[in-house]
Amino acid sequence: MARATLTQSGGGVQPHLSFAGLVRQFPDGVRALDDVSFDVPKGQFCVVLGRSGSGKTTLLRSVNGLTELDGGTVRLNDTEMARGTLRAIRRRVAMVHQQFNLVERASVAANVLSGAVAEVSGWRVHLGWYPETLRARACAALHRVGLDEIHLNRRAAALSGGQQQRVGIARALLLNPEVILADEPVASLDPAISREILTLLRDVARERGATVLCSLHQTDLAREFADRIVGMRSGRVVFDGPSARFDAAAEAALYENTPAVVSPKAPATLERSYGCTPL
Amino acid sequence: MGAPRFETSPAAPVKSPEHWHLPAPYDWRAALAVLLIGVALIWSAQRVEIDKMLRLTGEAVLAQVGLQDESQVGRGLGRMFGSLFPFVIEDRQEIARLPNLDRDNLPMFTRIEVIENTRYKMNTTTLQAEPVVEAKEYLVHPYGYLFKVADKMLETFEIAAWATIISVLLSIPLAIMGARNYTPHPVLYTASRSLVSFLRAMPELIIAMFLVLGFGFGSIAGYLALGLHGAGFLGKFYAEDIEAADRKPQEALTALGAGKLRVLRAAVLPQVAPAYVAYTLYILDRNVRMAAVIGLVGAGGIGQELKGRYDLFEYGHVGTILLVIFLTVFVLDQISARLRARLIG
Repeated sequence: MARATLTQSGGGVQPHLSFAGLVRQFPDGVRALDDVSFDVPKGQFCVVLGRSGSGKTTLLRSVNGLTELDGGTVRLNDTEMARGTLRAIRRRVAMVHQQFNLVERASVAANVLSGAVAEVSGWRVHLGWYPETLRARACAALHRVGLDEIHLNRRAAALSGGQQQRVGIARALLLNPEVILADEPVASLDPAISREILTLLRDVARERGATVLCSLHQTDLAREFADRIVGMRSGRVVFDGPSARFDAAAEAALYENTPAVVSPKAPATLERSYGCTPL
Repeated sequence: MGAPRFETSPAAPVKSPEHWHLPAPYDWRAALAVLLIGVALIWSAQRVEIDKMLRLTGEAVLAQVGLQDESQVGRGLGRMFGSLFPFVIEDRQEIARLPNLDRDNLPMFTRIEVIENTRYKMNTTTLQAEPVVEAKEYLVHPYGYLFKVADKMLETFEIAAWATIISVLLSIPLAIMGARNYTPHPVLYTASRSLVSFLRAMPELIIAMFLVLGFGFGSIAGYLALGLHGAGFLGKFYAEDIEAADRKPQEALTALGAGKLRVLRAAVLPQVAPAYVAYTLYILDRNVRMAAVIGLVGAGGIGQELKGRYDLFEYGHVGTILLVIFLTVFVLDQISARLRARLIG
């Protein structure tokens, strides 16, 4: 698929992904998203930065409908996120997860191929008989993320954390997504591996012209890799600009210790939205 | 995803440790419960004759080591085991009852034996009992009965195998409907779970008894009864494994736009497959043993043969049957252990 050339934020480009007035409120009154609005142009590597609980994950999950919104709209190009468009949007948006979310017992190849189950015909999925072209694409994706043929039939659990995240990225790339959501993709990896993974993520996204929305909590990594940083705190956007403008004052606004919301009931309510029922 | 992340409050009020409450792991209520259970067991023990069991077992042990002349248990079991030997493995039929036998061309392995029997017959003129020698001819197949038992055992195994297939086919849809996170509708969830509990609650011997009334004597009642009961087990275990499977890969595939059935196939099945193999092999193993038992109510297989011989007091035949059952179960257990190790390992 042909993609528009890489663009930086602003500059009158048509937004690829746009958030308008997002609100997500948990039943106990905690607002994970509190009137969040911004646009992401095509091809941008946009980092959502913030502490734990600032609403980054909720924001990312609102794009593919893993979290239901209480208000506001999410648009991908001109498609508005709704019950009817959910499946279609999910096929165009891939996700890379903090804990890789691989089937640990299954082989690396099976994990990568599982990225295409939404596109492959049902009988092929159920017999595990994926078409030749798709298998070739899976190999190409694995090669691109830096894995070798010897890894194909190895169990995912046998790989190191960095390698597992590479498999996760290969799985995400299999359907040539327009948008890659990366939810704390390096939070469980050490700093050196984190840089490798983020470099890989940035490079593969550039090659394909894919837009990346990546949540992070490390400011140094955000400064190094982001085209643009969106800083979040308590569900609100408190900083938005190119990474060069993210200075000490902005960092303090994001991380400075002030009394914050405490919600003892929140984990249980969040758990509920973890189920895999669509919307 | 892992644990949900939320901001913690640095200004949370701190209670001084002497006001903390750390209760003991259990209190007087636990002691009371133990006491009540103890009383209930003592009350129940005299109802089920635990004391008599201990006395008789003790006597049997004493008799074995020679401290007592004999014991009731030893005598009963000893008489039984004594009459099991020698195992009968030959088949013997009176030739007088085989009108179509071609003497020049006997069936394979068979031979004719003549057995002379001396009977005393009352001579009506002398009023004396005189010995009369009667010769009876038998067609003897030296391993005939063993072959027959082996054939019955094969039939039993076939019943068990088909019962397992029926269980698996029934329990897959029941498990999907009965897994809380994949059920199409809560009503179907409740219906499926209730049906599965019902099937599990009905003992196969009783299901078989009723099915024999419907389908007549033979294996149909056998494999249907075992299959229904097995579906009660597998439906429950399959469903619980689906519910307990790691949610993270399921969420990943949902996020990529996969529907429920595809997520189930690509993210859940690889996780639960080893346990499913183990459950299914266990059910097969169990079905072989149970198929031998349900024959007692006429549901085909080796149990039916066993019951017939037992009722005719032909303990030599019973011995052969028991030996064949034991060997079969032993061999199947070894095979299934290896199969499991290979499939799961």
